[in-house]
Amino acid sequence: MSLALELVRSSLLAATPVLLAGIGGAYTYFANVFNIAMEGMMLIGAFTAVAGSYAARSWVVGLAAGIGGGLVAAALFTLFAVALRTDEFVTGTAINMLALGGTTYALRQMFGVRGAFMSGQIQAIPRWNLPLGPVLGGHPFVVYVALALALVADWHIRRTRFGLRLRAAGEDPRVLDAAGVSSQAVRAWSIMISGALCGLAGAYLSLGYVTLFAENMSNGRGWISLAVIILTRGRPLGILVMSLLFGLFDGIGMSLQGTAIPAQLTQMVPYIATLVALRVYSLRSRNEH
Amino acid sequence: MRRQQAVAAAVGVVVSLLAGLMILWLQGYPAAQSYSALFSYSLFSQFALFSTLNKASTLVLTGTSAAVGFGSNCINLGQVGQFLMGAMAAAAFGIAVGLPKWLTLPLVILASIVAGAGWSLLAALMKLKWRMNEFITTLMLNFVADYFTQWLISGPMLDPRAYSPMTRMTNPQAWLGMYNGLSGSVAVAACSFAVTWLVWNRSKFGYECRVMGQNPSFAAAGGCAVPRNFVLAMLLSGALAGLAGGLMVIGGMQHRFVKGIGANYAWDGVMIAIVAGNSIAATGLYALFFAVLQTGAMGMELETAVPSEFALVLQAIVVLAVVASRESTRLFLAGLAARIRARRAIALGDARAAQAAQLAQRAEADHAAPTGGGQDEPRA
Repeated sequence: MSLALELVRSSLLAATPVLLAGIGGAYTYFANVFNIAMEGMMLIGAFTAVAGSYAARSWVVGLAAGIGGGLVAAALFTLFAVALRTDEFVTGTAINMLALGGTTYALRQMFGVRGAFMSGQIQAIPRWNLPLGPVLGGHPFVVYVALALALVADWHIRRTRFGLRLRAAGEDPRVLDAAGVSSQAVRAWSIMISGALCGLAGAYLSLGYVTLFAENMSNGRGWISLAVIILTRGRPLGILVMSLLFGLFDGIGMSLQGTAIPAQLTQMVPYIATLVALRVYSLRSRNEH
Repeated sequence: MRRQQAVAAAVGVVVSLLAGLMILWLQGYPAAQSYSALFSYSLFSQFALFSTLNKASTLVLTGTSAAVGFGSNCINLGQVGQFLMGAMAAAAFGIAVGLPKWLTLPLVILASIVAGAGWSLLAALMKLKWRMNEFITTLMLNFVADYFTQWLISGPMLDPRAYSPMTRMTNPQAWLGMYNGLSGSVAVAACSFAVTWLVWNRSKFGYECRVMGQNPSFAAAGGCAVPRNFVLAMLLSGALAGLAGGLMVIGGMQHRFVKGIGANYAWDGVMIAIVAGNSIAATGLYALFFAVLQTGAMGMELETAVPSEFALVLQAIVVLAVVASRESTRLFLAGLAARIRARRAIALGDARAAQAAQLAQRAEADHAAPTGGGQDEPRA
């Protein structure tokens, strides 16, 4: 297989978690919820997915547990940020820390290991050998789900009644309340959707991208998603393009690892690419003014 | 107002400790015994108390770093990177400089401060020159600093005799020393804390920063040099985080930059600032409390085999419980006050005033939702 082909394939694999979390974050973005907790939701999803897959020896259970884990984190976020009206930034940061501490604690408490947990008993998400050619074929099926979800979310946010309410809740919640729809409920739904998708992203990380759980394995992907959402102003198709771009940089970083450049420096590439993208975005938005 | 906050904080701390007790009990650990170990290993002996103070010296610095940032409306989440750059600068200077101790120590400390401030200056300049959101840039710079220092300690600065990535040991002139188990960094941290408190609460710059934190537009309208203060606040915030990192090298036991030196201190600092509501004095108190939890957790693991990572869980619960109870108390008391006003007006027979007070009550319940911090950040 040629090097370029390998690069594109690995870009697609690396883009998927950022894409999934980004779509989830698009919902909260349009509802004007400052969702800094995506990182934590993803990490919790990654852990519960491995725990579920390990316990039941089934990837289906693992996937469901991953989404469930994300939903639990989202429910916690909703409880504090929507019901108890705690500041969203504060709640999100605390949930990120709870995710980091909780998964590290549970890793030792349940599996008795520090750092990383791997076992032959963890069932990975199956790969689909779709007849889509050498680039698109043979990926874990969540990759295809993510690509499809980007299209679905774009339609859902822009063309449906729920999407309209979602955007109204973000633009002016009082109007929505006056129309007889609870803006708080819409905000809660947006958080739950983002939780499910971040949980799925986490499950993909720990059961698809690799087959193990490592401490803090989300490693800033949730924050990159947040940057992607800001860059694309929440449009799912834009998120699709941007996360593929970040996947590409991740892939470039990885393919540089065989060369003379030290691995620690090539691992910086996606984060520096994010900074550069933010700079380009600030140039463009200045021209608009 | 202050008493109300203290009550809310006490309620939050008690609730979260009880929640922790429940979690331990549900998992089948001897809960009460674990808690008594938690406190006896962190407070009730000289060694325990000194260990707690050593830990608190780091936490108080990362905590004030975050509090100064958030309190002046700079969402500096780059403590991780600033801490690492400070620690790396201290290690590099500590290895390279062999002057007498009275000259080396201040130089090394200064190096860590400058390195931390320099790293935060990057983000501050990106914000001012290029209008890049500081909360994303600082987060991304964390990863850059992390990989950069990892590269240094496994490549150019690797100790050839070491089995894992770490730098060489620094010169003894760059050691702060231990006094009966109490690290010299406690003194340095206490001084920095006092200076930060004075600057924050007693200087014109501190006042302007606090106004910026409360209401940036008002600060600008009132004649504060907002961009200048923003850069200075970011510098101060980064300097404190860098100093925390530097003290880990010069005041610790290992006297070098080892892999994972930052542990979770930077994010602990962010949580401490949040739970303290960005007040410097309260940051000091919560830093001590978190240090008690972290130090005691080691003892708890020894006594009842609860993994010490439990402290991390407990900290996050404390943050959620205290902040939520603070907001709920505020809303509850606002509602109560409105209800009392309404009742008094009814008693006076003034129907219109009663109606107005009821409306006010409803409005307060609806719109007292706090919108501080970075709520509108993504749209900015």
